[in-house]
Amino acid sequence: MKTIFALALIIATAVLLAAGWVQAGGMKLRAERSAATPEEAVHALMADIQAHNWDHAYALLDHANDLQQADFVREVAGSDGSLRTYSSLQTYEIWPVHVEASHATIRVRMNWSSAVGSLDEVRDLSVVQDGSVGRVVWPKPNFANVPLQVLPVNYLRWDVIGRRSDDWGAGSVDTPQVRIISMNAVERPTGIVILGEVENEDTVPAYLNVSATLLKADGSQLAQQDTFDAIAHSLLPKQVSPYRIDFPGYRLQDVKSVRMDARPLLVPASADPVVAIENQNIIKDALGRSILKGSLLNQSGQVVNIAQVLGAFYDSSGKVIWVSDGYVDQALMPQGPVPFALDIPPDVATRVHSYHVVVNHYAAPSV
Amino acid sequence: MRRILLIWCLMIGGFALSMRAQEVELRAPSKVIAGAGFAIATTGHGSATFYLVGPNRALKRTIQLGQEITISGNDVAVSGLYQAIACGSPCANTTFQVLPSAPARLSFLLHPSRVPVSSGNAINATTFVFDRFHNTVLKSAKVDFHVSLPDGPTMTRTGQTTRGITWFEMGSTAKQGRLQIIAAIGETAEPRVIQQVASDACGLRMTAVPAGRYVKLETSAIRDCAGNPLPDGTIVSFTKTDNAGRSTIDTPIKKEKATAQFELTGRARISVACGVALGNELEVGGRP
Amino acid sequence: MKPLILASTLFASACLLVAHLRDTSIEVRAASLPKVILNAESITPRAIEQRTGEMVTHNYAQAWQDMAACVETNRTDLVNDYFTGEAKARLTHLISDQRKSGLRTHYEDRGHEVKAVFYSADGGEIQLEDRAQVEVQIFDGQKMIYSSASPRKYLVLMTPGADRWYVRSLESVGDETF
Repeated sequence: MKTIFALALIIATAVLLAAGWVQAGGMKLRAERSAATPEEAVHALMADIQAHNWDHAYALLDHANDLQQADFVREVAGSDGSLRTYSSLQTYEIWPVHVEASHATIRVRMNWSSAVGSLDEVRDLSVVQDGSVGRVVWPKPNFANVPLQVLPVNYLRWDVIGRRSDDWGAGSVDTPQVRIISMNAVERPTGIVILGEVENEDTVPAYLNVSATLLKADGSQLAQQDTFDAIAHSLLPKQVSPYRIDFPGYRLQDVKSVRMDARPLLVPASADPVVAIENQNIIKDALGRSILKGSLLNQSGQVVNIAQVLGAFYDSSGKVIWVSDGYVDQALMPQGPVPFALDIPPDVATRVHSYHVVVNHYAAPSV
Repeated sequence: MRRILLIWCLMIGGFALSMRAQEVELRAPSKVIAGAGFAIATTGHGSATFYLVGPNRALKRTIQLGQEITISGNDVAVSGLYQAIACGSPCANTTFQVLPSAPARLSFLLHPSRVPVSSGNAINATTFVFDRFHNTVLKSAKVDFHVSLPDGPTMTRTGQTTRGITWFEMGSTAKQGRLQIIAAIGETAEPRVIQQVASDACGLRMTAVPAGRYVKLETSAIRDCAGNPLPDGTIVSFTKTDNAGRSTIDTPIKKEKATAQFELTGRARISVACGVALGNELEVGGRP
Repeated sequence: MKPLILASTLFASACLLVAHLRDTSIEVRAASLPKVILNAESITPRAIEQRTGEMVTHNYAQAWQDMAACVETNRTDLVNDYFTGEAKARLTHLISDQRKSGLRTHYEDRGHEVKAVFYSADGGEIQLEDRAQVEVQIFDGQKMIYSSASPRKYLVLMTPGADRWYVRSLESVGDETF
């Protein structure tokens, strides 16, 4: 009796463990890690990247191009406080582009969940058959090799000194003079979007927020929204930034007028770093989407941890017809170019005549 | 019957006497100057509760009717309408107005902190006149404004207040620099300083110097139309357009000039702009 | 015994009814803003924008509503919403004095005819002349010691904040002032 009871317990435990393994995706994981076919090889790699299992991920790669594990991890996991270091691979889609017996090209679309929202990345990966196992050829990252040097940085810096007080009538300093130089309300499938540009007309830096209020025919408020991060908040003197304010779910037919409000603040700022935006072009990406691509070159000596790119797109009459923004998930190392891409809606891309791109940057305070 | 009548008469008489004893009257000046103590005369007998209620005061104390109530200057520092109330039975009250005293403080607002040169009526100076208790001085008063310009002698303007306010507007001069205005009344003076700054860039020009596969760009000293240099830190945009696409660099002015460097991959057209001011365009690169 | 129980029940019901009525009336008072009519025809040196005029009118009415609530209940928590500077300091001091003395003031606000007379060129200050119809009653505990329904005149200075206009100065003035 006792023996039967013990046996029953052991069997029940084994069954429950197996059920738990299956429910946790063990079968799927096993299939993914088998890497027998090119798709499975890429699946296995993505699964390891998701799990931050770098050793196993590196082991799945083809090492013919002398890719070092440190470089692979640096590129995929991020470094230098970049946005990638605060991100994780959320989902991915895989489909074959070209398959032959000995090698294949697999397209993978990765969706990264980051501190600023989701970021998409599309890559075409080569997979070579190594016996019964497919091995992914991960392109060797091209990190900028900047020689050691001393770079003098003497751009202007502004500080705000003294006590801020509410003593009305006592000496004070005005907030910066900013001006909304254009505003265009358009209706998109998702709702109303307010687009335009704002300029810091003053001689001091400004930290700026722009909001819009939709008004009904009777003058009452329909909705109010802010730009959030669809604007370069810090504007140096005479600098122009595009802005975009989204009103999801609203229709222009319900709106009689729009009231804009720009709220500047006097803040300390630095004119450094200067980031050049090079080789900007509108092209179609691998998925056939219109994008504005280019590269950012940090011309200063300070690492820019997180860079945000904002683009204003104009029609032939110079009117702002769209504003895109996107984050670069790599840090901008001094003197090293980093690519960027901004999405453009298909119907907007056909009407774009010119564009203007600005860079917003965030640098961790130096110790 | 007589006894009842007598008792009744005594009761009525006593009641009338007691009413008379509690009749209270307050006499205060109709107008008092803020901060100046004064007295309120009272009539009646016995003790009563005295209240003084004003814009920022609500006092309560016991007094002896028939004697003067001393009100200290601190209790009537704020100008406005006051109620003095004495409650025996019933309550009596009087109302008096506290007027502002002599001008002693100025709230001086000078805007904007930074004004472009040669802007007509761009500078606004507004002054509010108060007494030492922060009451608005309603009586018309003369305020002097001593104006020190960056490129001229000091001049004085005079303003007469209306309901405690006087103001004036003036244009900025052609030279950038510090502009000081001192508002003064009596022995009170409030200085304020604003900056006249260069306006938009004028005659913006750049030159290009090839340096290997790069081209170095430098503007001439960037000034406004009056010759004032634009302040360091002002953003200048350089744009290069070639076969590879468009490249832009937003760079701040340093020591009156802005510089940038582009890599050349062929013939390119380069332009420069500062705010709304456009500069010259250059064609660089390519085979001669 | 039964009549006693019936009487107690009736008394309790009456108390509850009175308490409810009192609460309702406070809610009604709190819910309705005093009537403020703004005339800006003779404003100098600049004209007032439509939206600014509406905001000033609304915020001034809210200031009076808050002031009435504060001096009636001797609470200072509402003082920050629409008062600033000297007006806020004076109102706070008055409430403090009232609390110490056991006094409270009741305003029966019957409306304000407000004339805007000054609006600074940079839009930072606005001065108003207010002809107010306000009945004032002062209480020591439950005993009313003063009552007056005479019209009053106020000289008001308002300055803009982040999302509203604040009363910076509220001074009662004599009849001859304006």
